[in-house]
Amino acid sequence: MAKPTTIRIPEDLLKEIDKLVQELQLDRSTYLREVLMKGFSLDKQDRLFKGYAAGELSMLEVCQKLSWSPWEFLSELKARNLHLNVELEDWLDAADLTG
Amino acid sequence: MERIIADSSALILLSKCSLLEVICDLFEVVVPTSVANEVASDDLVSKYPDAALIANLISKELIRTQNPGTARFQLPLSLHRGEEDGLRLALELGNAIFATDNGKAIRAAKFLNIPFIITPKMVVDLFRLERITFVNARQSIEKLGKIGRYSPEIIAESVLSLMEVKNGKAHNHKDP
Repeated sequence: MAKPTTIRIPEDLLKEIDKLVQELQLDRSTYLREVLMKGFSLDKQDRLFKGYAAGELSMLEVCQKLSWSPWEFLSELKARNLHLNVELEDWLDAADLTG
Repeated sequence: MERIIADSSALILLSKCSLLEVICDLFEVVVPTSVANEVASDDLVSKYPDAALIANLISKELIRTQNPGTARFQLPLSLHRGEEDGLRLALELGNAIFATDNGKAIRAAKFLNIPFIITPKMVVDLFRLERITFVNARQSIEKLGKIGRYSPEIIAESVLSLMEVKNGKAHNHKDP
């Protein structure tokens, strides 16, 4: 169920939003709700990937928070031109297959 | 060491560079059921061909599933279920390498003194062991950079190591 909330936004931005919803004949509340949902989703992803890159989150922790599979995670790394959070030092410290 | 405990990241990258079956032929590969579910659930198998490959290897028991016991230990950092189960299993079974391509799991493995390996290192070692050709190894490392999202530094180091192994082999063959 949708619940009401109040936020203060800059007057210029509000004018631009009003102009756009009029031009596109959209419902202002519906539009603002959609924009908020889209922005929230993207911001959440950005913050989680930042945490992953900093080594604060593991691949599967990010996947769990976004309800993604690790396969989707890898595709998203590519889309964002990011790399796995494995360091060169880890390569040097790795064991050999031969033991 | 002949036993590898793999987490989701290692299973995915090994399948993406077409080396999972080679590893399964050479080593006893064990994964917790949480890892199997993370990468090869029914839903994922229908979407990703590599997930289907992993599920197939599990069904043929070329990848064995085993869960760690109930004993818990305190990790220095938080991990997801499959990553933690893999580390616990590696500790319990002993004589095993923990295969992961996850920086946070590597940090936990180092803290617990569990030997670990990353996929680019496995590629170089497979070539060293003469289980794959130089061309295959080179292609796999390229895939680990492009699809596997390994950093250019690690890819460069891997190629360098591969060349050193190749040159070493050539040198050895020249020796009487």
